[in-house]
Amino acid sequence: MDGLRLYIRLVGISMQARLQYRADFIMGAFSVIMLNVINLALIGIIVYRFVALNGWNIWQLFFLYCLWLLGHSLYSLFFWHFWDLEEDLIRGTFDQFLLRPASVFIQYIGREVQYIGFADMFVAITGIVLAYINLDLHWSPLLWSFLPLMVISGTLIEMTLNLMMACISFWTGRSSIALDMIMEFNMLVQHYPIDIFSTWFRVVVTGFLPVAFMNYYPALILLGKVDKTSVPWIGFLSPIVALLLVGLTSIVWHFAMRRYSSSGG
Amino acid sequence: MKIFWSFTRQAFQFASVYRFNFFVEIFLTFLRMYGIYWVWRILYTQKPGAFGVDMKQMVTYGVLGMALQILVWSRVQWYMASQVKSGAIDTDLMKPLDFHIHMLARSLGETIVGGSLALPGLIFSFFVLGVSLPADPGTAVAFFISLVLGFLVIFHLNFMLGSLAVLTLDIRHISWAYNSIVRFFGGQLVPLWLFPPTLAAIANILPFQSTFAIPMSIYIGKIAGADIFRALGFQLSWMVVLVLSSRLLWTWAHRRLVVQGG
Repeated sequence: MDGLRLYIRLVGISMQARLQYRADFIMGAFSVIMLNVINLALIGIIVYRFVALNGWNIWQLFFLYCLWLLGHSLYSLFFWHFWDLEEDLIRGTFDQFLLRPASVFIQYIGREVQYIGFADMFVAITGIVLAYINLDLHWSPLLWSFLPLMVISGTLIEMTLNLMMACISFWTGRSSIALDMIMEFNMLVQHYPIDIFSTWFRVVVTGFLPVAFMNYYPALILLGKVDKTSVPWIGFLSPIVALLLVGLTSIVWHFAMRRYSSSGG
Repeated sequence: MKIFWSFTRQAFQFASVYRFNFFVEIFLTFLRMYGIYWVWRILYTQKPGAFGVDMKQMVTYGVLGMALQILVWSRVQWYMASQVKSGAIDTDLMKPLDFHIHMLARSLGETIVGGSLALPGLIFSFFVLGVSLPADPGTAVAFFISLVLGFLVIFHLNFMLGSLAVLTLDIRHISWAYNSIVRFFGGQLVPLWLFPPTLAAIANILPFQSTFAIPMSIYIGKIAGADIFRALGFQLSWMVVLVLSSRLLWTWAHRRLVVQGG
């Protein structure tokens, strides 16, 4: 529990540091909202002439997009700095975490907050609420409690996949392209239901880079579309997938720490 | 001219250092093409008449959009922003070449990198996704001219964004909004003729369609005959306007440029 306390304290400090730049936040939040509205408009235009995309109507597609975004918003809030791990290793700034008498992992993940993630969260929640109303959904209390669980699983899935990819730089010195790759798969899964793609793609995003568990499989349950898959309960597996990835990531991190040698910056 | 090409070559060499990244990026470009291919294919199966073009044309449009995104997309604004931030822009200003032309040379080098990333994906798409070639040599020539004009338009827009970095130092956030506006109104993902009338009317005035929608529509034959000349004229006029405003904006920004420490 000491770790958690330390983490919360570090995040608090980062938050205060960030709040120094208010204009930056307003500009960033504006851009993020704009970007998402345009993405949603594109989906809207695609569907407007065709009524639905493979049986997904416009609000169901918005729901799919926003469910991914909600999980992602927590990722972008707390873990965006994974992109910079390679830079930390090249410049030797990673060494600072090794010098302090606390867990390197906790220090590293608590390094920074990117509070533009709040804008993602704003768009995501608005979208989900509007979709809920327009689709005339009536979730049982069970499904309601399922939602936050799915969102957190989504955050953990994205976080662990990205951290493992970022750890590649402990061996090769470069990892941003691997993170780009995850992002590219994520973009497709966020925008379109994976049932429009061919089998190999569905296998990859289910079994290898399981980003479909961030939105697609939970959405099947939440939107009552389980007839789309032969395994109707697969959406309930998201938390398990997340936990497995957490386990795998801790192993990768352990080896990365053993491997680490400073660039001597 | 020799010095122009040396800057072009330099940018190319700089961008092609990491060979592994290069291969992954080729794959990612193809992945994007694959994604849009399935979207159009599924929609076409649902409602064949709704596109106004046939499926092969639609798929070709989608795949080209992904290719052009990395082919013509100059990163000049990032370069300018980072040079301003680090103060290294003073060395750029001392180079024996007009800054605007120097940046153009750099962008051209990046375009060659972009082309070498897009080409494998395009060739693969030709065999696997059924992307078609231009109908006749005339179309191919018109496409090429249109592509060059499209590159010049987006280069100057980006150059102007880069000039703003002189004043604001940070253009990272604003570029997210900028990029998505260019792609949206440029018709990079969804062709403008599928837009609702009001949005289409706005997109038809803005310069962004020069970069994506016009060359891509010429390629698939959606713009043909005399319309080609009208479209090229549209691109050319925007290019002239943007070249002039880029020169003006840069002259103004240059005067206000304060180089920090360094």
